[in-house]
Amino acid sequence: MDKVMSDKKVIALYVLPALLIILTLVYSPIVMTGYYGLMKWDGIGEMEFVGLANYTRLLSDSMFWQSVYHSFLLALFSVISLAAYLLVALILAGKIKGANVLRKIYLIPMLLSSVAIAQLWLRIYHPTNGVINSLLTFLGVEDIPLWLADPNIVLFAIFIAILWQYAGFYILIYYAALKNIPESLIEAARIDGATPWQIAYKIKIPLISNVIKVTIVLAVVGSLKYFDLIYVMTNGGPNGASEVMASYMYKQAFRSFDFGYGSAIGFFLLLICLVITWLIRKLTASKEEIQY
Amino acid sequence: MIRKKYSLIFALTMVFLLVVTGCSSPNTASSGNEQADDAEIVTINFMHLWPAGSSRQQNMIVNEIIEEYQDANPHVRIVQEVLENEQYKNKLQIISASNELPDVGMTWPAGFMEPYVKGNRFTPLDDILHGGVKELFVAGTTEAYAVDGKTYAFPLELNIVPLYYNKAIFAEYNLEVPTDFEAFKHVVQTLVDNKVAPIALGNKDRWTGSLWYMYLADRLGGPEVLTNAINRTGTFEDESLVKAAEEVQNLVDMNAFVRGYNGLSNDEGKSEFLNEQAAMYLMGSWELPNFTTNDEIPQEFRDNVGYFKFPTVDGGKGDIDSWVGGPGVGLFVAENSPVKEEAKQFVKFFVERWGDQAVARAGVTPATTVDTSVLELPQLYIDVLNDLGKASNITLFADVQMRAAVAETHLNMIQSLFGKQVSPEDYAKKHEEALAAEGN
Amino acid sequence: MKRVIENRNTTLTTDKPILKVFQHPLWQRLAYGILYTILILLAVIQIFPLVWLLFFSLKNNQEVFNTAPLSFPTNPKWENYVKVWTEGNIGVYFLNSVWITVVAVVITVLLASFVTFAITRMQWKYRNLALGLFMVGLMIPVHSTLIPLFSFFLKVNLMDNPLSIILTYTAFNLPITIMILLGFYYTLPREIEEAAIMDGCSIHRMFFQIILPMTAPVMATTAIINMIYNWNEFVFVNTFISSDKYKTLTVGIQNFIGQYMTDWGAIGATLMISILPILLTFLILSNRIVEGITSGAIKG
Repeated sequence: MDKVMSDKKVIALYVLPALLIILTLVYSPIVMTGYYGLMKWDGIGEMEFVGLANYTRLLSDSMFWQSVYHSFLLALFSVISLAAYLLVALILAGKIKGANVLRKIYLIPMLLSSVAIAQLWLRIYHPTNGVINSLLTFLGVEDIPLWLADPNIVLFAIFIAILWQYAGFYILIYYAALKNIPESLIEAARIDGATPWQIAYKIKIPLISNVIKVTIVLAVVGSLKYFDLIYVMTNGGPNGASEVMASYMYKQAFRSFDFGYGSAIGFFLLLICLVITWLIRKLTASKEEIQY
Repeated sequence: MIRKKYSLIFALTMVFLLVVTGCSSPNTASSGNEQADDAEIVTINFMHLWPAGSSRQQNMIVNEIIEEYQDANPHVRIVQEVLENEQYKNKLQIISASNELPDVGMTWPAGFMEPYVKGNRFTPLDDILHGGVKELFVAGTTEAYAVDGKTYAFPLELNIVPLYYNKAIFAEYNLEVPTDFEAFKHVVQTLVDNKVAPIALGNKDRWTGSLWYMYLADRLGGPEVLTNAINRTGTFEDESLVKAAEEVQNLVDMNAFVRGYNGLSNDEGKSEFLNEQAAMYLMGSWELPNFTTNDEIPQEFRDNVGYFKFPTVDGGKGDIDSWVGGPGVGLFVAENSPVKEEAKQFVKFFVERWGDQAVARAGVTPATTVDTSVLELPQLYIDVLNDLGKASNITLFADVQMRAAVAETHLNMIQSLFGKQVSPEDYAKKHEEALAAEGN
Repeated sequence: MKRVIENRNTTLTTDKPILKVFQHPLWQRLAYGILYTILILLAVIQIFPLVWLLFFSLKNNQEVFNTAPLSFPTNPKWENYVKVWTEGNIGVYFLNSVWITVVAVVITVLLASFVTFAITRMQWKYRNLALGLFMVGLMIPVHSTLIPLFSFFLKVNLMDNPLSIILTYTAFNLPITIMILLGFYYTLPREIEEAAIMDGCSIHRMFFQIILPMTAPVMATTAIINMIYNWNEFVFVNTFISSDKYKTLTVGIQNFIGQYMTDWGAIGATLMISILPILLTFLILSNRIVEGITSGAIKG
């Protein structure tokens, strides 16, 4: 058994093709990004080596740190909302009538491209005839919020759109994981008189804990490098109130022709993700060992 | 079990087939091109931003010019690549990094093109400019594409920014076209009192708000003050530049702009004017088709649109015939193009053909001189073109004048100014800092 | 083993109540009522974007911006669809989108399954390192990769070749696909492999005939996710492809974004057309998530 399962040739055959693709198409850009980060470069003409100058500039760039803060807030929100996604998945995966149809309907929005989602939420938040403000006006609320134009609200308004955008993705993963649990285990517990909440909490969730850990990493990393909706809906504004790391990087590299600085931000973002992922894996490592 | 196996094998074969065909088809295509090259056919790659869908007229004219040129020069083949504005800018920069620019492409003047010129990516066009092309252009327009005395692109459009207004709304409240700023404020106040939004503005795009600031700066401090601050012969902390910022905030305090303007895109802001929700709209002459020929917009509304020149300020140094505006996209030829001479000839041909066609059919106000007496144009066009001819000055859009990084600061500051998150003094100070940092 | 399979085959809608806490039938009904009200309300909210998109695609710019998002277009502009179909090469884009998406999804899911299998089931020293190497792939912002990838594809002569985007999609989706597969592979019972090996089954046969069918539900999940990503992607296509004949549907949207004016109705129509095929595929694949468990049974 062990001999078969540690056949070097088989391992190489299974891992190398994917590794090769990753190394050429993901790692070479990473290395180049690190390299450009040490340069003063507009992305067009000659480069000039400036050492760590871009990074020292990064440290004192308050606009950048504001975007870091926003990105971390988004990461926090995403992780918290995982609980809600899990709850929906638990209900859908339970034995209720029509679960199959409901599940499909719930996941439909995730099929929309971010272009469509951004347009949708722009209509929802429109200051005069948007869905929310029409409703508020109808209800006679005075002092209706301006959503995307208000620097105090804009970030949270966008977060809600992002959380909604990703709901389908995580519900789908949780659903598939829950459906993967052998029915016999749940049946046994039920015969022992366990309530549905006990079954969920004591059996289902522990059994899919590996999947949950993975989704935490995905949510955090995905949030830290998030770009799409923010760029279309507010372009980071008003005046940086909804700027995140990736949108700031993009602006520096492609709009301000400061590719060197943009690359330094990109590389720094990678480092932050690495550290955070390592931390998450350390914090959640304990149970994984038992599985082996 | 057996069926599973077969379906798997089938799936795998499909993958390989697709990969193999995916690999091989482009190769055969490219070898076909090489054969064509042997027959001495010159291919000019041309990248532009007028897709057939959204810019149908422009796209049609481009295709006709290309066809005409290919007919006259049978050895030349012109291949187009079309990208939308934003994607176009990105791709231009990415391919520049590998020095793979198309032979002919589009650029914006001043701040945008500077890195390309400095990186030696564009080739000077002075030889054709002085070979009979310069005379075609409105005086002073090619200068926006000049760096260190050499011209690197030819403009295709020249816009000014009129203040459009809805005549019906003005008539309803007995308002007259204001010629000075006090009268203008009175108009704004009257409209506010009658619960009509005075001004449509989508300031998420930021350059839209910049137009208001630029005009106020011009009317208060004269045509040179902003330009001088940007080219560092002056300062941004000039009294009139701070005052202009104050006036912007005064307008904000009067509720002159539509609700939520800082979160609206230009398209959304504009629609408030088009739907007669707002009475005025400050925007470039590229909007003229919407007020004249665009059938999607009700005739009734189009007939109601007029424009006036931005009012002067009492005691200010600017005069009413000074405009904000300037050339937009222009054509460049790549420095490392293997067919540079042919590309230059094509560009020359293009700008010669473009002007009259563009204004008559696509509603583009071209950078070449237009004889309004010959062409049949809507009255609004004739008025704008005549005013353009009488302009005492045209100040190039601030974000275009500035280098990219400073422009970013300017645009952010504009949004803060309109959102009242920055005082006029700090607004000027931030600009001064950014400009000073770029200076060295 | 047999017992497990039989249990899994029991129908999903047995009448076992989900909320046993409320023993009284009246309570049960009330609880169900509330639950269903919430669930149906959520479903309505979730279906709303599709309806919105349909209405959106039948409006012109004026209506798009100045009527309530869910208002029915007063004068449905079916010509938006005509415009989309007749202008530009939407047919070509469509076919390209389909085959590029399919190829990239199949390659990605297969390669990721190989890797995940090797990392979770086989014994070797560097498997954690390998996993780490793949995970780093999640962390690089897309826009950082464009200039380096462009120059790479230029060097290997893959510029303006569909292979460049297929490879890029594979590379950038492999990490997330592996991550999702990982959680599931950990839960697969080891006894099955042991039994298979005892029976003299080769490792490849075991992988293709036992492991892959067993992971069909999660493969369907990752296939859906990959499909959505690839189908909606446009940054890489714009960067690496310049010939019209290789461009994909997302380019069709750009066709209606102008220098100063954007035709929103036509964009809506393009979005509507482009969502239909993935909606269909999603509905089919989505069934696999459930079916996989009952029919892709363990035959070890």
